[in-house]
Amino acid sequence: MKTFVIACLWCVTLLTVPQSQAALQIVTTTEDLAAIAKAVGGDHIKVHSLTPGSRDPHFAQAKPSMIRKVYGADLLLLIGADMEIGWLPPLLRSGRNSQVLPGNPGYLDLSTTVTLLGKPTGPVTRDMGDVHTQGNPHYWLDPKNGLLMAQAITERLVALDPDHSNAYQRNLASFQQRLTDKMKEWQATLTPLKGDKVIAYHTSLIYLATAFGFQIVDEVEPKPGIAPTAAHLNRLIKRIEDDQIKLLIMESYYEQRSAKFLQDKTGIRIGVIPQSVGAMPGIGDYIQLFDTIATTLKQAGTF
Amino acid sequence: MQQHKLLLAALAVSLFFMHSTVSLATDSNSVKQQSWGNLPIQIGLSGLFSAGGSSADNDELSGLQAGGHDPNRNGFTVQNVELSLSSTVDNYFDAQANLIFLIDTEGETVVELEEAFLTTRGLSSGLQIKAGQFFTEFGRQNKQHPHTWAFVDQPVILSRLFGGDGLRSQGARLAWLMPVGWYSELYLGAQNANGETVTSFLFAPGEEVAGHTLQERSANKGSELLYNARWLNGLDLSETVSMNIGFSGLIGPNSSGADTDTVIYGADIYLKWQPLRSQRGFPFVAWHTEFLKRDYDAGDVTDPSHETLKDSGGFTQVLWGFKPGWIAGLRYDFARANGNTATDPQRDNRTRISPNVTWYLSEYSKLRLQYNYDKTEHLADNTNHSLWLQYEFNIGSHAAHTF
Repeated sequence: MKTFVIACLWCVTLLTVPQSQAALQIVTTTEDLAAIAKAVGGDHIKVHSLTPGSRDPHFAQAKPSMIRKVYGADLLLLIGADMEIGWLPPLLRSGRNSQVLPGNPGYLDLSTTVTLLGKPTGPVTRDMGDVHTQGNPHYWLDPKNGLLMAQAITERLVALDPDHSNAYQRNLASFQQRLTDKMKEWQATLTPLKGDKVIAYHTSLIYLATAFGFQIVDEVEPKPGIAPTAAHLNRLIKRIEDDQIKLLIMESYYEQRSAKFLQDKTGIRIGVIPQSVGAMPGIGDYIQLFDTIATTLKQAGTF
Repeated sequence: MQQHKLLLAALAVSLFFMHSTVSLATDSNSVKQQSWGNLPIQIGLSGLFSAGGSSADNDELSGLQAGGHDPNRNGFTVQNVELSLSSTVDNYFDAQANLIFLIDTEGETVVELEEAFLTTRGLSSGLQIKAGQFFTEFGRQNKQHPHTWAFVDQPVILSRLFGGDGLRSQGARLAWLMPVGWYSELYLGAQNANGETVTSFLFAPGEEVAGHTLQERSANKGSELLYNARWLNGLDLSETVSMNIGFSGLIGPNSSGADTDTVIYGADIYLKWQPLRSQRGFPFVAWHTEFLKRDYDAGDVTDPSHETLKDSGGFTQVLWGFKPGWIAGLRYDFARANGNTATDPQRDNRTRISPNVTWYLSEYSKLRLQYNYDKTEHLADNTNHSLWLQYEFNIGSHAAHTF
């Protein structure tokens, strides 16, 4: 009995001793934010993403294991624009870490660092589906926004951990250089798409379209977040034929039956793209994300 | 024959509502989100209604559907209309209030202050204090509001031990996020022990518990509070499976005597699987099980009718989100007690099996069809069948996706 008690106490002690406090603890709501933070923070930070890149971050749940992560965080990075509205507020209420509450140095909403597209202009009702009043939150899908996000994260890291300010600035410069070089490559790969009319599954790809110069003219969903109906799919068939639309782009987590149906009827090609770092095996960082998107679109568009 | 007619009527009603509610959901959800997004106060209104019928008559249904928010009569029930307000108070506190409106079986509108409490925002050492009027930290189901339930009614054992409205009272609780490598939280609370939302304790004088008439008992001593402890653990077993496991206990005075106590303890487990690739949170499988036991000192030791009432029960339920927006559920409920209980609707041997299907038309509305197969001892007809169609709307602030 005595040895058992000692063993238990020993275990608890092991678990409670804080793991090396040297590295800044960063918690992000998505893997894209984690990847960019990792690129600029290097070894001076420890990053944990609350959601995996293979799931839609809007529909995550505030799991208890996340409470633990928020409690221990020095910095919280979020997408914002209501992307995490369902689960981040309850998580922050349970996390009891005032450092990472809105308005504090440990809270960084990256949607404030970029220009949001798709901000509704007229009155908004929920009859319109999942419309984000502050603008479309899928902004990380434009690599130019990646540059701005990396810049903002670096500024915050420098403010929280000035001792490593040189390292952060160096990492930022190198990340921006690599990304800028890569952007030219992706632009070249996707040149044939320029000006093309494309159909998306959800209203989540407008930043990607802006970045690479194609137009999204319709969605498989009749309204954002509303499942496709037969009537809407029939209307789409007509539109695809009338406008000679060649390509349908969708994220990997959506059902593919509707897209296959449209393909059977019209021959439209389907590009299933990873929308986030971690969405598919082999996408470990922000640059690999666009590498895969560019390759996938090239193959789907057969150009 | 009577039963079949009722079931047919309920089905007809359900089909009717399937149609009309779909169009309602698209026409009337015209909340201006703009005005909610940046408001410093979150306001939400949720309406939960049901229609249906049972082989039991309305009098018998009050014993079968003993939860205060259960559909409890042949016809229509306004189960719960809840106005929820929450905001950050200042640098120190967050606050929330939930006001509920319902229409009772007499047709009277009832308004209740369901919850109103402060929570601290940034105490050190992983501590958090909640104070005000709130649901007691006991198990997983007790704290859930009716519009987040997975079934149209609350588990039988909870109605028996905690009363129709769930266990809630005025008080304070301390929560401590323990400094271990996984999520482990300890809750310690003290709440007032009197009133109709703490039926196992100083419940209204004149009411009866297993034949013991409850008396006026002055709850003015410090010891006459309800004390509560809960230890909750949360673990990610893998990238796709997460688990909560909790243990809860309660002790407090009851009004069957001058010096009588009630002790309730329970365990709960919740397991959820969701594949790495999922659309709008689907598919998933969630399993939730709770067991509860109560020891109720009935009558003082000097009282010739003194006895210890022992009640126990539980429920186990599985939910399968088989495609986006659609969930199939199955719940098994059971409750039993010691002594001669066959005629007592709150203590007889009871089992209930409830399959259901829920359709979330959007994040803001749902339809649910549930069948209850009920076995009781207290009713002349030991087996009863009920069919309920539930419909819900949510307007205002975005609802929380809690685990």
